[in-house]
Amino acid sequence: MNFLKKLAPQMALAESQLHKSAALHTSAVCCRVQSGRYRITTKRNRPLTYEMANPPHFIGHRKSWNSWNTSTLKDSQRPSQTAIEDLFIRKFITGTWHALVCSEIIIKRQHNTIRVASIIRQGISPRKMYFLIGYTEELLSYWMQCPVTLELQTVADKKDVVFKYI
Amino acid sequence: MAASLTRFLERSQRTTHAALSSVRLFSNSNQQQPQPEVEDDEEFRVLNLRPVKQQFQRRRDIKRDDVTPPRTTRMAVDQDWTAAWPGPRSFHPASVPLPLRQGFTERGAAAPSKFANAELMKIPNFLHLTPPAIRQQCEAIKKFCTPWPKGLETNAKWRSHFPLEVITTDYCQSLPTVRNPEARRVTVSLKLSDLKFDDHARDKFLRLVGERYNKETDVLTFVTDRCPLRKQNYDYALYLLTACYHESFITEPWEATKSETDMEVYLFERNQAKRSTEAILNWNAAENAQKKSPSASYAQSVEQLINEGENEYNLAKYKEEVMKMLNVPTQ
Repeated sequence: MNFLKKLAPQMALAESQLHKSAALHTSAVCCRVQSGRYRITTKRNRPLTYEMANPPHFIGHRKSWNSWNTSTLKDSQRPSQTAIEDLFIRKFITGTWHALVCSEIIIKRQHNTIRVASIIRQGISPRKMYFLIGYTEELLSYWMQCPVTLELQTVADKKDVVFKYI
Repeated sequence: MAASLTRFLERSQRTTHAALSSVRLFSNSNQQQPQPEVEDDEEFRVLNLRPVKQQFQRRRDIKRDDVTPPRTTRMAVDQDWTAAWPGPRSFHPASVPLPLRQGFTERGAAAPSKFANAELMKIPNFLHLTPPAIRQQCEAIKKFCTPWPKGLETNAKWRSHFPLEVITTDYCQSLPTVRNPEARRVTVSLKLSDLKFDDHARDKFLRLVGERYNKETDVLTFVTDRCPLRKQNYDYALYLLTACYHESFITEPWEATKSETDMEVYLFERNQAKRSTEAILNWNAAENAQKKSPSASYAQSVEQLINEGENEYNLAKYKEEVMKMLNVPTQ
């Protein structure tokens, strides 16, 4: 991952500063309460997808994981690298398919293959879509050094993925 | 302000004039007809300092291709599903002709349908591994199979031919690499009864292997993981087995100095009991007469009595053997 090498000196600097100041993390545990949850609006017009409508503690009950790999199992290899790569894939795809991605990016890894699934809005012509698929697959497979497959589903409108309004 | 007022007045006058002229149209149309329209066009042009929205309302209609209907509508009922879904793939609603639904809804509402349903795309599916697909693949690879070798039909048969059991683990993982350091571990096990020993070698072998030998199951197990590769570990395990086996047959000079206190079991052959019994049996015997020695069953009963401890059976056995040896008639 070449783009990580650029970050390395900055991260080392940040780490040294962190060690100088304090080694203990003392902020309040708000993130556990607030992350992945959405506030109800007064007009009740905030659209939520099924994924957003279910808070994180329903993962494994009402909704499923967005990353499927073996790195998070006990004693398996490269858990951190896999997480960073997944983050990078998500950022790259939401940026490349700008304002077209209607759902979460689902990343499934099988052996050395990465399969990326997502729901895309039919905002651009099929020709451009085919180009973007090839472009994304080519660049990602070059960076990840393994075959990447895009498995997209398209919807006509953004409202098709809305599960409810709060 | 003044200018706009005058313009307003002028315009209202003109409109009234136009109305009047239009009324007159019917009476004398020849002269008056083109007149009012020209006047209408000759309005002061308004200087648009601020662009009004109206100017940008001309929009090009984007020509869009029609979205094709889902493939499921054109699928035949008896189609070859293995051709429609040949390999592992995320769920796609337009390709799967099943009325699937997934998702949790409250108050008894219907679950979200298969279209635009990310949950169905997340879960691993086995649509490429339907029974016909598996049958097809098995048929395809059948030509690479060889018949099961003759003479190895039962477990007991192949166990006697292949006493050594080697256990290794392969790891399937979702990583760009196929290497896993855990895969280097090799477990080699065999039954000790498959090896041939004499008493000394067996004793020495068991001392060498230590706790790798399970007394209850009579299984010897070598686990090697000190080398980085599986092949090296397998070779090392076999080397350990071979070295221990051959080492156990070597008698070192210092092994002869093993005294009675070093013995872990009682042996009749090298104890006072044997000498005493021989003395009793050879009592008053002639000088050149053949020496009598105690019977093997007597020796065994003495060893059993001392090694296993005194119990009713061992004592009765010992008594019987002593009486037999001394020719005492039993009542």
